[in-house]
Amino acid sequence: MRNDQKLRALLGPAGPEVGCDECFDLLDRYVEAELAGRDADALLPGLGAHLAGCPACREEHESLRALVASDY
Amino acid sequence: MRAAAAASVEAVAVIDLVDEPLDLESRAWLAELRATGEAHDAAVARLHALLLRAARFEVARRRSALPHLRGDELDDIALEAADDALVSVLRKLDDFRGASRFTTWAYKFALLEAAVKLRKRAWQAREIPLEPEAWHLVPGGAAPDEAAARSELVGAVRTAIATTLTPHQRRVLVALALNGVPIDVLADRLGTTRGALYKTLHDARRRLRTVLAEGGLDLEEIG
Repeated sequence: MRNDQKLRALLGPAGPEVGCDECFDLLDRYVEAELAGRDADALLPGLGAHLAGCPACREEHESLRALVASDY
Repeated sequence: MRAAAAASVEAVAVIDLVDEPLDLESRAWLAELRATGEAHDAAVARLHALLLRAARFEVARRRSALPHLRGDELDDIALEAADDALVSVLRKLDDFRGASRFTTWAYKFALLEAAVKLRKRAWQAREIPLEPEAWHLVPGGAAPDEAAARSELVGAVRTAIATTLTPHQRRVLVALALNGVPIDVLADRLGTTRGALYKTLHDARRRLRTVLAEGGLDLEEIG
């Protein structure tokens, strides 16, 4: 990891964010909004920031998005 | 239904989850899963197949990170993930409000179960680096292509980690943010939950940002 990546990982997202449990609760809605071309971050504030700061939730978001996209 | 969002690590706008009209496919899933007899059994079998497909999808995505596992071991993990996800989906069926398609909602349970199991397998025999010695991973000097300001920031972060965080915050931050330990693996080893651990990480990050801002450091480029 380069310094900037380390700093981002250490300092996390700047804005307000939801926690892991809430992220899981809302993830299906967030992914469908993204795939429909809607502004998912405006619809579900704080979730995008959490995905930026939580690698595990980010991985699960990427997987759900890819899996649902494969169904479209 | 209107429900305030579950506890956030930080105050965000309250999200209203309003019942959405169910699409036909989701409506059919619910009706069949709530039926009795053969219709119910058939729906459960279809749901398990759907969850197994999702779990295998996750296993395939992570397969390269688990070269020591054989194909049948990976498929066992997928099957176990699908089994566990099936229990979760059936238990939480009344929580599904139609904010997404039923299949999207159900998929996430299988992906989560598979991801958690695979991360645990990947770290099964590995030591979890928690000790302060790991701080040296924060670079101490400026790389040739880095500006002096960035070097100053790196130094200030290192100092703030050492002097302003609690020992628990420091251990969690070092393990998760620097050493790449998956949060559910660390939660398991520390006997806590993923949500509680993320709260600790979040508080540590907020503390660092506050201290750095008070020191007049510009964090805009970091985001």
